Parts: sequence; C-alpha cells; structure tokens
Amino acid sequence: MSPVSVTYWGIPGYAIFWVLFAIAAVLFAQRLYFLFRLMRLGKAENRFDRIGQRIKAMLVEVIPQWCNLKTVTRKDIAGIGHALLFWGFSLFLISYIIFIGLAGGFGASSAIEGTNFEVVYFSILDVAGVLVTIALIMAAVRRYIIRPERLEASAEAGVILILVFFLMALNVAVVGFGYAAHDSNASWPPMGAALAGYLSGSGLAQGTLEAVYQAMWWLHYLVIIGFMVYIPRSKHLHILVAPLNILFRPLGHKVVLKPIPLEEAEYFGAAKIQDFTWKDLLDLYSCAVCGRCHASCPAQLSGKSLSPREVVLNLKKHLLETGPELLAGKAEASSESKAKAMIGDVVTEEEIWACTTCGACQEVCPVGIEHVRKIIELRRNLVLSQNKMPESAQLMLRNLQSRGNPWAGVQSLRLRGDWTSGLDIKVLAEGDKARTLFWVGCTGALVERNVEATLAMARVLKAAGVNFAVLGDAETCCGDPARRAGYEFQFQMMAEQNIATFKKHGIKEIVTTCPHCYNTIKNEYPSYGGDFKVVHYTQLIADLIRRGKLKLTKELNSILTYHDPCYLGRYNGVYQEPRRALQAIPGANLKEMDRSKNNSFCCGGGGGLMWIEEQPGTTKINQMRLEDALKTGADTVVTACPYCLQMFEESIEHKDIKDSLKVKDLVELVEAAMKRS
Amino acid sequence: MNIIVCVKQVLDPEIPPAKFKIDPAAKKVIPPPGVPPVISVFDERAVEAACRLKDKQGGKITVISLGPAQASEVVKHAISMGADEGFILQDEAFEDLDSFGIAYVLGRAIQKIGQYDLVLCGRQSADWGNGQVGSILAEILGIPVVTLACDIEAADKKLKVKRIVKDGYEVLEAPMPSLVTVSTELGLPRLPAGMRIMIAARTQVPVWKAADIGAQAAELDKAKAHTEVTGLSVPSRKTECEMISGDSPGQAAENLAAKLAKLM
Repeated sequence: MSPVSVTYWGIPGYAIFWVLFAIAAVLFAQRLYFLFRLMRLGKAENRFDRIGQRIKAMLVEVIPQWCNLKTVTRKDIAGIGHALLFWGFSLFLISYIIFIGLAGGFGASSAIEGTNFEVVYFSILDVAGVLVTIALIMAAVRRYIIRPERLEASAEAGVILILVFFLMALNVAVVGFGYAAHDSNASWPPMGAALAGYLSGSGLAQGTLEAVYQAMWWLHYLVIIGFMVYIPRSKHLHILVAPLNILFRPLGHKVVLKPIPLEEAEYFGAAKIQDFTWKDLLDLYSCAVCGRCHASCPAQLSGKSLSPREVVLNLKKHLLETGPELLAGKAEASSESKAKAMIGDVVTEEEIWACTTCGACQEVCPVGIEHVRKIIELRRNLVLSQNKMPESAQLMLRNLQSRGNPWAGVQSLRLRGDWTSGLDIKVLAEGDKARTLFWVGCTGALVERNVEATLAMARVLKAAGVNFAVLGDAETCCGDPARRAGYEFQFQMMAEQNIATFKKHGIKEIVTTCPHCYNTIKNEYPSYGGDFKVVHYTQLIADLIRRGKLKLTKELNSILTYHDPCYLGRYNGVYQEPRRALQAIPGANLKEMDRSKNNSFCCGGGGGLMWIEEQPGTTKINQMRLEDALKTGADTVVTACPYCLQMFEESIEHKDIKDSLKVKDLVELVEAAMKRS
Repeated sequence: MNIIVCVKQVLDPEIPPAKFKIDPAAKKVIPPPGVPPVISVFDERAVEAACRLKDKQGGKITVISLGPAQASEVVKHAISMGADEGFILQDEAFEDLDSFGIAYVLGRAIQKIGQYDLVLCGRQSADWGNGQVGSILAEILGIPVVTLACDIEAADKKLKVKRIVKDGYEVLEAPMPSLVTVSTELGLPRLPAGMRIMIAARTQVPVWKAADIGAQAAELDKAKAHTEVTGLSVPSRKTECEMISGDSPGQAAENLAAKLAKLM
C-alpha cells in the first residue's frame, strides 16, 4: 500500500501529495516560462528546417550520450561518468513517473506494487543506483580533490551531487523499510532485500518500521519535487535545455553567420542582449559549466583574458539581470548609471579581439553551444556601429578596402598575376571561360614565403595534367578576414564581386590552397548566390595520387608532423586526405601531435588575428603550438594553410631553431617527391 | 557647417621602387598594370577632418576631385567615410595642368557649389608633392589659408586650427570661410562603417566638364602655364656599407666613434 493512501493527522496522503506537487509544478513552470519569455526577446532564426534529420541527430547525441563520450580522452574520462549518470538517472526518472506518480499519486498502486514488473524494475535500479553512486563519487573526487583546471569547486555542483546521492540512498531505504514493514520475503531487488533482511532481524517494532518507511517515502518524494524547483534555477537547467539545444544545432556549417540586411538600421551587430537570436540565448541556458571550452581555447591557454566559458556565463548573467526590465517593456535599463554595457562591462573589448575563431570551444562543447558567432556579432557592433577596433585591425581592413587585399604594401611586392610569369599558366582575360579555377588567395599571391607554395602547387597541377586557369589581378580577397573581424559590408561586397567574376568566366569548380578561402567560398558564398564546387588542394592531391596521376617516387627521409589547420579540419572535416597524401610519400615518417585532428591547437592566425596584435604580456599562440610540434621529434612540420605556414615560420625564427626544424606546405613536399622528368 | 574637401586620386605610394617606371621623353609616370590608384593620403586626412567637424557641428560635406573618370572611386571613398555628396571634374582641358591651373579649376567648381564655411585640402599631393594648390586656391577664392593643420575646431563662426611647426605646433584663429590644408598628424582616418560603404558603392558620382563650371579656355591654355616640367628621372641610389670591426665590442665601438668623428 502506497503511503499516499494513508491519512496523516486527519489529512489524506493524496491531498499532501498533490498539494506539494502543485506547488513544485507551479514553481517549475513559472521559472521555465520566465526563461522562455527571455529567450523570445532574441531575434528570429530558422532552426526548424529538416526537422526529421534534427530529431535523429539529437537522439543519437543524447541517448547513447555521444555528446559526452566524444569528449573523452586519456586524460579526461569525465564523459563516461556523465553517461553513467545520465543512463542511470533516466531509469530512475521513469521509475518516479511509474512508481510515485502512477502508483502513488494516481492510486494505481495495486496494479503496480508487488508485481513482477516492479521487482524487475527495482532490481535494475539497484544496478543503476550503484553505477550512479560510483559516478557521483568519481565526480566529487575530480571536482573537489583532483581539481582539474576546467572544473570549479562550486557549491552548485556539490548540491546536485549530494541530492542525487540522497536519492540513490533513499531509493534503497524505501524498498528496505517497505519490505521489512510488510514482512516481505522477496530477495529482489538485492540491496533493498538485504536491508530488509537486516531490519527484520534488528528487533524494531512493525509500527516503527512502517513509520520510518512512510517517512523515507515522503522524504524521497520531497527531494524529487525539490529537484523540480531547483533544476531550472541552477546550471542543471541543462538537463532540460541541452537536448533542445542539440536539436537546434546548425546542420551543415558549424559557424552560422547571418548576412546583414541592407535596410537602414539603428545599429549593427549585438550591442544589447536581445540583439542575439533566440538560439544564442538558448545556448546560454544550456551551459553546464563543464569548462571544456575554457580548457581548449588557445587564447585562454596562452594567457589572454578571453575564456569562452566566461563569455557564455557572463552573457547568461546579463540576460537574467536585464531580462525582467526588458520584459516589462522598457527598451533600455532604467538608470543609466546602473546599466551595464554588454560590450565593455559584460564582455570586454580585449576578450572580443582575442578570439582566433578556431572553433575548439564548439568542437568540445557537449551541449552544442555556438561560441564563435557570438564573438563575431559583438565585433560587428564594434566595427560597423562604434568604429572601434584595434589599430592593427583597422589598418588591415583599410587595406582590404582600398587595395582589395589585407596585406598592405605587400600588395605590390608581387602583383597578383606576377607569380605566373615564366610559367605557362592561363590567366583569364575578359571573355575567357574556364571550368576549373585555381584560386590562389591573398597570402599565396603576395607573401614571399607563401608564393613558393603557390608555385609548387601550380607545377604539381600541371604535372598531373589538370586543366586549370587563374584570375591574376582580377582576384580580390575572398573576404574572410573582413567577415571574421566583423566588417560585414566589406565582406558582402567582395563576395558579390568575386561571385560575379566566377560566373562571368563560367567557372564550375574552384581549387584553393587556403582553407579560409575554401571555407568562405564553399560554405558562405552560397548565401550570396555563389554555388560552386570547391575543393581544397589536399583533397585534390590525395585524389590525384589515388588515381595514379601523381607518382611520388623520390624518397623523403624525414620525420613529419602534420598540423591540422582549424578551417580545414574542425570547420570542414578534412583530416584524412592530407594524411593520405603525406603517407604516399616514400620514406615519410608521420608522427601525430598530442593535439591533432579535431583537437588540433590553433596556430593563432585565424579570426583576423594574423594582423591583430595579441594581448601584450602573454604567450604567443604560435609559440605554444611550436612546442607541440617539437614534442613529436619531427624535423619538418607540414601544414596546408598559408596562415599556419607563416605562423610556424615566425615561431621557428623566434626560437632560432631553423636548423633543426623546418615548416613546409604539404604541396612543397609532394612536389619534392615527384620524379623529375 | 558646409565643408568642401578637395581630394586627389594618385598612384599607390606603396608600390615598391622596382615597379615605379617613368617615360623620360614624355616626362610622365607609367602606372604599373593592375595596381588600383588610391586616395592621396593627406587628402584622406582632410576628409577625416571634415567628418570630425560634421560629427560635432552637423552640416554637409561636399567632395570634389580633379581627375579621370576613375577618380569617382576616391569620391566614393570619401562618401563612405561620411561625406554627403561629391563631383569629379573631368575634361580633356583639365589634363596636365600645373598647380595654378588645378587651383583655377577647383576654384571654379567651388564657386559653382556656392555656399561654404570651410575648404579643406591635403597639405600636398602624395604623388608630385608640390604643396601649392591649397594656398593658390585660397588666393583665388579670396579667403585666408592655414597650412599643415593637425587639428581643426569650429565655434561661433570661427575656426581654431592647430598647425605643425618645426619644434611643435601653433594655434591660429581663422574666420569662416577659410581654407585649411591638413597633414597626417591629424591621426588615422576612420574606417568606413555601417551602411555608408553600401551607400557609397551605389552612388553615381556626377561629372563636371569645363563648360559646367565655366572654366575659360584662356585660363587653361598650357602655353601660358606658370610652371613647366623640364625633366623627370628616377634617382639612382648607391649605398655603401662598411663594417667597423674591433678586437672586442668595446674596441669596435671606439673605432666606430673615431670614424664618425672624422666624417662629421
């Protein structure tokens, strides 16, 4: 008989049950409704397309806990612990609905209690309870004793560990005291039955056992509904919100930047919290403060003030603080002196300009938060509306505007078509048509060291018999540095101009040596009407080798290590082809860095940081990455990106180890391995 | 405040010396192919000065440029920074004028525009660098001129101009209207932002011919020009480098000091 059907001091248990439940439900719903209304302050965004695909993706991430298991490394196995917690607790949650809700509250106990189903289910719960308790102990030890960098020893975390532990313990206690009080001889579930056996032999009166049983039952119930009230008011909100956040994740490209519409607006970018979209605000709710983003951010790891975790949490705090006034209809916070400026007080300009947009934060986040685009939205406001940016960024953007490339005076060191002189390469003139375009990119055309890689690429393409053309002077920057720096209108103009040029020459396929150009033309140009087949040269080379069009016969006796460029790897999933190309080189011994593939550590050149000064007094990101390379014992670092190449050259020069370590572009090694005819 | 800014489009000064070619016979510079010309760096500061005044006082900025059709690019650049409208002065009669001729044409255009409180020019052009047009233009217009400005303020129909001198600066008060030439010490010009880039990109810059501004053929007669280019050449530069050595760093320093003493 469920304790709900007992009368306590004249009050029926049902009344107590439902009154408590109603209070908890109201507090739960009220909080969720408040959060929902705040979220709705954000701008519109369509994340409802391909709903079937979205649901499937969400179920795969959440139910098998792939969202957490994918973050497990040798050094950080917390993902396994969370998976255990999740599966275990899900089973408990179902049991609450059935055995407390239905059996208790709805009085269906006679149909459920004492049945084989109950026995079996509770036996499973015993196992689950042990696993959950182990996970809880692991979690407590990690957080409060081992104290890894990414975890804070917060009270909020401690509370949940204690509450869940109580639930596990109470679960056993309820069964044990229940069996003992009702003289049950059941041997399943094992722990409850064992406790019952001990209690039966302890000499406690039946009345005492029954009283304790009922007290345990109600205490258990209180903790559960207490959870209901507590969860939406703490970081454990992620339990409810994270699956939704994963449901609304970007399906294709990981960093979704909206084009800015051309109508006159008061300002651009995000100056206030409601300038973000509802999905951005949902991100803020989803954060479970796991700190993985913090621990993989190259800016943070090199000593900058930027931490992706802090940006998310500060924005969340700002939303909750300003939310009530915004909902009350006041556009601005009431008193000017109290009003916190989102840019400046909540997120500082120093933090905003430290981001290389490498995407490590997003890669490792279990709940699908999109950190990068928030930074870019803040940059848009600084650049387009406030005209505030670091001087180094301003110089680069002005060059982009007046010269069509970000490289300042270097523009004319090699005029864009100049590197083609001496080679038999078709430079597209007015009226020419070509199917395949070799898009060189600014760095590859203008910076001396990178021109070497461009020349190698041209020679390799010719040797493989690929029919291609180049644009020469007509090639202006793809616009990536402008877009990442927040200078959106310039980017739009360049995108439209380049697309018009491609269409004019009938281009269908574009091969490029720069991952930034690759990413921008492939993933971002379609929003401006430019849909072309875009191939990164490592993909093309791997394919040419596979098809036998490129024969690599000359031995290269080198220990190589390949540095995955962020915009090729994390942004576009190209990890295998460069490695296949390298492994096809005879004598090449490829060693992986600790942080490689999707965990690759940024060279420090993306997000406009190629030109923007890093925070003074901190370690340079490229110098940190060099240390990773040196640890492999390689004599050559190989990369497939012009920025990475520059960054490694600079760090090698700085450390003065040019004699023991070289950096090469992948195509340079491929060319060297080709048999000379 | 109504401000008129004169801007010039020049060959990109950032091209390396090796690319800079001249035709000695025609006494002309041959622009290297594929290098877009840019706004003269001092004129860009003049536009910036105008924008700063407009930020404070409000008003209108009109930009004019004497040059080929392509000069509309620099007018658009000025619009994207904050200018309201612009015109280019393009006519066969305007080609190969000296500073006096250029000032005359600009003066006619300014008189066509009509009302103004301030005319701004760069202190000199970034190509020929004569630094004369501003002052001559002021003479033609009959207004005072202050050169080498690094800061301009306006209040109560008066201008306060900070002017660069050899060891510092001096502050001058000028009436409105006046002409001020601006130097790079003004600071970095603003990055075109917001909608202005798109507005500028879509602007059609009107072209004024000699007839539109009432420029008299007699004034533009090259035979009566005040100045004449007699020769144009690229200077050859030789550098010699002598390494001063010594048994120790201290000895090398002594040897260097002795050498310098002899040379000075």
